[in-house]
Amino acid sequence: MAKRKLDEINAGSMADIAFLLLIFFLVTTTMEVDAGISRNLPLKRELPPNYIPPPVHDRDVLIIMANSQDQLLVEGEFMDIEDLEQKVRDFYLANQDGRDNDIKMPMWTRIDGSIIATEIAKLKDAIENGPADLVQMNKDDLAKWEKRKIVFEEVGPYSEISNSALIQLKNQSNTSYGLYIEIQNILKKVVNDLKREECNRRGWKNFDDLDPEDDDDAAKLEMLQVLVPERIIEAKIEI
Amino acid sequence: MGKFNKGKTRALPALSTASLPDIIFMLLFFFMVATTMKEVDMQVEVKKPGASEAVALENKDMVDFIYVGFPTDADEGTQPRIQLDDQLAIDYTQVAPWKLSKAREGKTVFDIVTSLKVHEDVGMRVVSNIKETLREIDAVKINYSADKR
Repeated sequence: MAKRKLDEINAGSMADIAFLLLIFFLVTTTMEVDAGISRNLPLKRELPPNYIPPPVHDRDVLIIMANSQDQLLVEGEFMDIEDLEQKVRDFYLANQDGRDNDIKMPMWTRIDGSIIATEIAKLKDAIENGPADLVQMNKDDLAKWEKRKIVFEEVGPYSEISNSALIQLKNQSNTSYGLYIEIQNILKKVVNDLKREECNRRGWKNFDDLDPEDDDDAAKLEMLQVLVPERIIEAKIEI
Repeated sequence: MGKFNKGKTRALPALSTASLPDIIFMLLFFFMVATTMKEVDMQVEVKKPGASEAVALENKDMVDFIYVGFPTDADEGTQPRIQLDDQLAIDYTQVAPWKLSKAREGKTVFDIVTSLKVHEDVGMRVVSNIKETLREIDAVKINYSADKR
């Protein structure tokens, strides 16, 4: 029998199949990249019933209120959103040199080996011998001082904004989410800028090049968290 | 002289379509690589706010998404609603059981980020209620979804 030559397979419909697949992917997928601002909500902690929180000085708190008409009230004064960034920056840096330049802004404290050692010893003692219902709180505090110790071991004595300095956000029920994100974005921007400056000052790698996957960089990011603390609390919405 | 075939018009050779599949495949691969699967069918309209400090969300299968916006279906009213997976929630109290039901093997609720995709005109009351419920169950890692500007 004569060998028959195989017919060539008709590839004409290949294009149709590919088109079909293409259209399927066009329909079921999106181009959108998910981006956003990450935050950690404060952990839920049971406070003992008779616990009196340590007094918080007015100067240590920056109150940012946004009302239902999307107006801003910062420290009791009307403010345009454009001026908020500078205000927050001032809040962080006003007394950076350790002197009382602005008595309405938080103090800075010098952290050195002896302070860390006393605080840690005090907290360890309180965890062992103090009241049981305060143990969790003391443990949280201890963790913070352990982190400061790590920073101290790396960079030596350093200055840090008062550890009760915090930013309080107050909203009303009709405050728009858009404005809220704008405020959050400004807070993040100030902190990121300060971290950038901190990196430059200490001769570290550029802040934006720090890679959380890398152990060494992750340690640096952890330290920046201590050097430029981000303490935001959000008040309950009342009206 | 005069050897040109003036009279006969030559038929155009058929355009080869053999490389058409290759081109289409190339497009297909581009879209497969450059896009991601839609997570859900949107029941609410979400116009995300912009933020210059927004950073890309990584490891998306370790993230739960909550959508808050205005319903696309007119029968659902005009008030902002919460969408969990493919369904509109009745109110924020459904968020906690939903979040707990989405637990991953070997991970606690604490480890899994919750991304809030909220329309920029929605009032803070809804958002605040959601955050409060998440905090109650220790799901404290939040990502406020925003477009990078």
